[in-house]
Amino acid sequence: MSGDLASTNRSKNQALVTYVVLPFIFLTVALLGGLRVSSESHAFMFLPPSLITLVLAILLLILFVRGRLIETRSLIAGTNPPLTNVTHIWMLLTLFFACAQAFNSVLPERGLLHWLFSFFFLWTLWNNQFSSFDARRLLRSLVVLFGTAFVLKHMLLASLYSADGGLLKRLTGALVSGVTLGALDAEQFAPATGYISFFTLGLYLVGLILISFTHPQTTSTDLAVTPSNES
Amino acid sequence: MANSVQQRFIQIIGLALSAIYATAIIWIYATEPRSFREVATGAQVAVGTYQVDQEKFNAALTLFRRDQFRAARDEWQRADSAQSDPKTQFYIAYSFYREGWGRVYYDQDLFKQGLDAVNRAIALSATPLTVDDENLQMHTAAELKAELEQGTERNWGDVNPLKVLRTRK
Repeated sequence: MSGDLASTNRSKNQALVTYVVLPFIFLTVALLGGLRVSSESHAFMFLPPSLITLVLAILLLILFVRGRLIETRSLIAGTNPPLTNVTHIWMLLTLFFACAQAFNSVLPERGLLHWLFSFFFLWTLWNNQFSSFDARRLLRSLVVLFGTAFVLKHMLLASLYSADGGLLKRLTGALVSGVTLGALDAEQFAPATGYISFFTLGLYLVGLILISFTHPQTTSTDLAVTPSNES
Repeated sequence: MANSVQQRFIQIIGLALSAIYATAIIWIYATEPRSFREVATGAQVAVGTYQVDQEKFNAALTLFRRDQFRAARDEWQRADSAQSDPKTQFYIAYSFYREGWGRVYYDQDLFKQGLDAVNRAIALSATPLTVDDENLQMHTAAELKAELEQGTERNWGDVNPLKVLRTRK
């Protein structure tokens, strides 16, 4: 009897996470991923995802399927009720835009740095397509990938081009910008932008972790800490 | 059976709520509000509850009638922060016209800004915009637009010395 109750509760909680919590998390990431705060007027700036972020998001989704973080065969199947299929497609759509906006959040907005970062992401994701992955490794890899990009953009570059930084910082920034004829110029934003990006990426990773826990096929096998997974 | 019904209920609720949320996000990216206040004003416009601050509008009108056009425009812009009221936009355009009007030449920059404002007023009004104000000589947005357009055009008539006899409307 208690086993039935536990099973029912598990099923309800799983439905709540899959159909309510996950779309809300991913939509919030989609909202905040393009949000910047102007350093001068402190006004909001909403940057829609660029074409390269959409391409990167598709590559990442393919990686999710290959790493079995997303079980497309069980999510969308002819044996599922139509409403279930629709809600799963909707969840995947919100995940796609969350991925695009997560990239948008850590990519420099313009110039050579934008393309350097894009190339770095593209290269990493393309290489990963041919590696053997499981959900756990994939999540770790993503934490490192987004973490590195976040540190580079919101800490290193923001500090280098900051208007209120020290003389040495400003000199280095001006030198880098001058030597490259402005190609390595970066847009300046208020410090709040970095905090928003940090929260956005955190939320995005929480969403991905929740996905891995709501799908039993991946949780039981791939997420188990086994020597083979660890190696 | 009950479990399946509950699951379906959660699915429908989740789908509906997240669809509303997604629409709101698309709206935010389309309108690009610059602050939380603009988000709130934009939401009022979207649901149709937006109203111009009548007190500020009247204060601006008093300034306008005293020929203090810049001060009047400032007040009107504060009264209609969402730039969504055709009547206020009409008055803003009119203030640009009156300030930019000169017996010898027209201030092109002010006339262009006036043209932008009157175009906004026309776009916002579902019917041809008419303002009943006995202190104005042009009562429709179309008249004002034509006058502003004429002012921004350059032709041989500009060197006609009789031009100085024209009167401001």
